[in-house]
Amino acid sequence: MPATIEMQNLTVQLGNRTILNQLNGALSGRCIGLLGPNGSGKSTLINTLLGFYEPVAGAARIFGKEVKNNLRELRAMIGYMPESDAFIADMTGVRFVRYMAELSGLPRGEAMERAHEAFFYVGLGEARYRKLGTYSLGMKQLAKLAQAIAHGPKLVLLDEPTNGLDPEARIRMLQLVREIRDTGEVSVLISSHLLRDIEECCDQVLILKDGRIAALCNLEEERKANLKFLELEVTQGNGFLESVRGLGCECASFGAGRVRIVLPDNIDLRQIYRTAAEHEVQIRRMNYRRDTLEDIFLKAMAGTPQVAPVQQGSANGSL
Amino acid sequence: MAVYKRTYKAYSGPLTPAWSRFTVLTRYGLKNLFNSRPFTAFTVLCFVPFVGWLIAIYLAHSTTAQLVLGIRVGNSDVVSKLWFLFFVATEAWMGFILAAWGGPGMITQDFANHSVQLYLSRPISRIEYLFGKASVMFILLSCLSWVPALVLFLVQGGLEGHGWIWDNLWLARAILLSCLIGIAMVSLLSMAVAVWVKWRIAATALMFAVFFLFPALGGAISLILRTRWGHVLNFPAMIMIIWGDLFRIAPSGPGGMGPGFYVVPVWAAWASALTMCAACFWLLHSKLKAREVERS
Repeated sequence: MPATIEMQNLTVQLGNRTILNQLNGALSGRCIGLLGPNGSGKSTLINTLLGFYEPVAGAARIFGKEVKNNLRELRAMIGYMPESDAFIADMTGVRFVRYMAELSGLPRGEAMERAHEAFFYVGLGEARYRKLGTYSLGMKQLAKLAQAIAHGPKLVLLDEPTNGLDPEARIRMLQLVREIRDTGEVSVLISSHLLRDIEECCDQVLILKDGRIAALCNLEEERKANLKFLELEVTQGNGFLESVRGLGCECASFGAGRVRIVLPDNIDLRQIYRTAAEHEVQIRRMNYRRDTLEDIFLKAMAGTPQVAPVQQGSANGSL
Repeated sequence: MAVYKRTYKAYSGPLTPAWSRFTVLTRYGLKNLFNSRPFTAFTVLCFVPFVGWLIAIYLAHSTTAQLVLGIRVGNSDVVSKLWFLFFVATEAWMGFILAAWGGPGMITQDFANHSVQLYLSRPISRIEYLFGKASVMFILLSCLSWVPALVLFLVQGGLEGHGWIWDNLWLARAILLSCLIGIAMVSLLSMAVAVWVKWRIAATALMFAVFFLFPALGGAISLILRTRWGHVLNFPAMIMIIWGDLFRIAPSGPGGMGPGFYVVPVWAAWASALTMCAACFWLLHSKLKAREVERS
């Protein structure tokens, strides 16, 4: 089965500036997060996937089909929620969504039905006959989501979906994204500045920096890997660290009794307890140290962006 | 996705043919225009000349009706090529006002809230988008121009009899071509200025400027430089020259428009009109984009 999105030396220039520089990689998560600081090329990548910008070199593929040569077919399979306001102020919400669904190819009756359903789905059922110009910012965001999903796309591109939303609306938006993702019928690509949004929804993350890929990692695998990553706070005990190393663990002390341990697969947690007991060491606090998305992001920002093909895999792993 | 279930479900039903998607834009465009009551009222008003001309044709063929009403229209000879040209010109001006009123708004409303990107993110190309919008103007202006003009032509042919229609078939062709040229120019202009200025009022003002200020500018250039070529900026006059040629209107003599009518040669009028259309195409090509590109 082809990856949702593939990039092969994808290079995009706007004017004289190179915005995306030789991007390589395959994104196949159900929900893909697109992270990066301002100007890193997130929106440009989305616009390139939509065919708004033509690459000067390389190619982008969606579901195995090259964007450049299959634009019409791919656009029928894509739902797009832009970052900026995008609506027709004089139209009622449901008419606008119906209009967009008809443009995507749905017959009139089906478009009307799906427009109503989409509005109820995003929680704007009661406001569907109001003109879009009268909607609050949060409602406009939800209306944009409704038009992006009304025609039943296979890939939904969400550009900063939680921008300007209050906490309650943000939670609602993320819940909708997760629900859409969990149906398994649609892939989602979310571009966001907010690491927490990405962490809550996505199973794969692409981090861009200066138009290049800084990191491409699978968050699910990261989470699983982190289960073997212990952070302890212990009373001083002679020989404890040496004994733990003797078990085959990698560990490091940071002073004041703080210890980090990487547990190999064959080592059970009980062995650590036993070793601590043998050395009369009190374990005062223990938690699985999670390498958060923030850590991954900061690491990616600190490192040199990669031009060469990126291997999917762990972004952490060392102490 | 179902209202009662509130769950997302992909769509797997039938789709409309790809070629027909632009008609969605046309349908919604027309409906939006006629949501405005003043616009609808003015559109109805635009049909008044047609009714007037229709009555005039009937009266010209019915001496009895002239006697009953106590008016003198003359005989059927008054219904000439010049008579049809005046009808086309009258309706063209009314159509121009209608296009200036409703045309730019169709596009500026898409630019006002950045919805162009939503259109173009769907299986709709830029050309289809423009074609859909232009079709609104085409339908509207056709209903005001060549359709009623050809109805008048048929009515005149029916009342005149004796093979009048076959003898004057060239006139039907002239009516159709003249109107199509006018519709194309006005539609292109309304879309191009809308895409350029992205503000409905300014776009409407600019349309009027092109049709009223440019002639003044052209006249001034002609006067100052003592040349007749400044008149190529007078687009209404250029269109009239093209129409005059299509309607076989002589510069002078019986049925002529007078020596001042053909102020520049017909080829210059065509060149002027085509240049304007080319400028409109260039504007549409360069300004209609899903995304603005900032150039460094």
